[in-house]
Amino acid sequence: MRKASIYVALVLLAAVSVVPFLWMLATSLKHGPDIYTKVPNLLPLDKRTGEWAATLDNYAYVLDVGGLGDAFVNSVWVCAILVPAKLLIDALAAYAFARIPFPGRDKLFVIMLGGMMVPAITLLVPRIHVTQSLGMFDSGWGLIVPNIASVLDIFLLRQFFLSLPGELEEAALIDGAGRMQIFWRIVLPLSKPVLAVVTITSFLFHWNDLVWPLLVTNDPELYTLPLALQQLVASPDGGRAYYIMAGATLAVLPVIGVLLVFQRRILQGIAFTGLKS
Amino acid sequence: MAAPVLERVTTGPGRRARRRPGARRRDHLTGWLLIAPALAYFVVFLLYPALSALYYSFTDWNLRTEASWVGLANYADLLFDDVKYPHFWKSVSVTLQYTLVAVPLTLVSALAQALLLNAIRRGANLFRLLLFLPVVTAEAAVGAIWRWLYDPQYGLINTLLGLVGIPGQNWLNTPELVIPALAFIAAWQCGISMIIYLAGLKGIPGSIQEAAIIDGAGPWQRFWRVTFPMLRPTTFYLLVTGVIAALQVFGLVYVIFSGNGRSVTGGPEQSGLTYVLHLYLFAFRYDAMGAACAMSFILLVFIMIVTALQFRFVKQEAA
Repeated sequence: MRKASIYVALVLLAAVSVVPFLWMLATSLKHGPDIYTKVPNLLPLDKRTGEWAATLDNYAYVLDVGGLGDAFVNSVWVCAILVPAKLLIDALAAYAFARIPFPGRDKLFVIMLGGMMVPAITLLVPRIHVTQSLGMFDSGWGLIVPNIASVLDIFLLRQFFLSLPGELEEAALIDGAGRMQIFWRIVLPLSKPVLAVVTITSFLFHWNDLVWPLLVTNDPELYTLPLALQQLVASPDGGRAYYIMAGATLAVLPVIGVLLVFQRRILQGIAFTGLKS
Repeated sequence: MAAPVLERVTTGPGRRARRRPGARRRDHLTGWLLIAPALAYFVVFLLYPALSALYYSFTDWNLRTEASWVGLANYADLLFDDVKYPHFWKSVSVTLQYTLVAVPLTLVSALAQALLLNAIRRGANLFRLLLFLPVVTAEAAVGAIWRWLYDPQYGLINTLLGLVGIPGQNWLNTPELVIPALAFIAAWQCGISMIIYLAGLKGIPGSIQEAAIIDGAGPWQRFWRVTFPMLRPTTFYLLVTGVIAALQVFGLVYVIFSGNGRSVTGGPEQSGLTYVLHLYLFAFRYDAMGAACAMSFILLVFIMIVTALQFRFVKQEAA
């Protein structure tokens, strides 16, 4: 009896969580007039006949006229460059901080950690200024370079590298292996779990990020998917929910795919990182 | 740490299998080379912006002109000049209201979900996944979806309310309803707190719960006397981080209150004009970068004070 009420409560909560997405999907598949009904319809049905009437026209419209097709491509290449480059830069630094002795190392690490305490908002305006001074404002570089490393990720990777048994690396050193060989051949293969967590959370963050692209781009050809979606909401088409929901579905589907495939890693990783970059 | 061990290996006397000479100096070089990109990023995009933001907060400045020193004028004007910054205090009030509603609502909702999930075996993974879904969703999509859900005429919420005879509301266009509507979205996205609570619950030894059961404690008593006190550190952590995040809410309100083109309204009667949205408008619409930097430092100081107070009082109470 008690078990049953727990399941009832969970089903209700899960419905609150999921129904907005089903509603989004259903709206995106409906013909324009079919979304305006007195009784909500979670299936793409014809308003008058009640027959199945799904359409992909809304997707075709937002991908082409709405500019979401180009934005989708932009988001893909930004993530395809940014996520691996950031992982490499962070992992190299984390390895040095964890394993390679050099003077001033630990002091420097503490200073960098201190930088993490500054709220992102404080840095927003001067970061744009720096990006502009470097000539990267309103360019593809501006979407990538100012996000190319993450102190939090360096911290997480360093903690993991420190937890690896040192004997293997020492033996390799004595056998004459270089630091870089050890990094590529020993450390990275042993670190797959943490590399996966950092990669996935970094992808989710940058795929979803609205604020930085909003501030650093003016040219619509550079818009990433979240920004293009926001622009669609703000456009005269914004009143047409079937277009907006098609756009939202395009932004959400890849992320749901990643969540389904990597759910265990994401949910484990969340306990440490909180999904921020 | 491995460093001392390595030094022993490289410099210890009498070891045949010694690393080649010069290895130590090479280590210094390799170390600096490996951190160089991250260090460059840190200096250029973190350290310098933080310091320059402080400097610019004492200047009159936009991105096109030279900054001119004005001392504390930005701070004074923001706090006291309600002709120049008529909505500054409104944005403070909106943000505080939002924080006071959204953070507790999120924590209660996350804890409830975690408790329910922790009480079942079968299907727990599926439910956890479904409840987590809103978290990984882009805020642009979240804003778009909820604008449509809250639609006064055909939105799902009002049509559902209509089915049970409750009159629908114009949620995002009624000043009194804006904060609750935004807070509900925040609670809808409570998945991260839920996961962290779940980890906290797993950390409570079963023997303590069993002892309480043997002592005749009912579920309600067990929650208030055992579970909730044992979750104190988790709640404290989520409270502190939740408040810091809520005080900086921006992207979602930006999408929710998007107007034509790149204009943003801040909601009916500025009821959704959060602090950072206000800051954004002054930085990138009204071209008052110096004032925007001052706003960001007022927020920084405020966040530090609130966090310190929480450490002082909430922690003490827990002890």
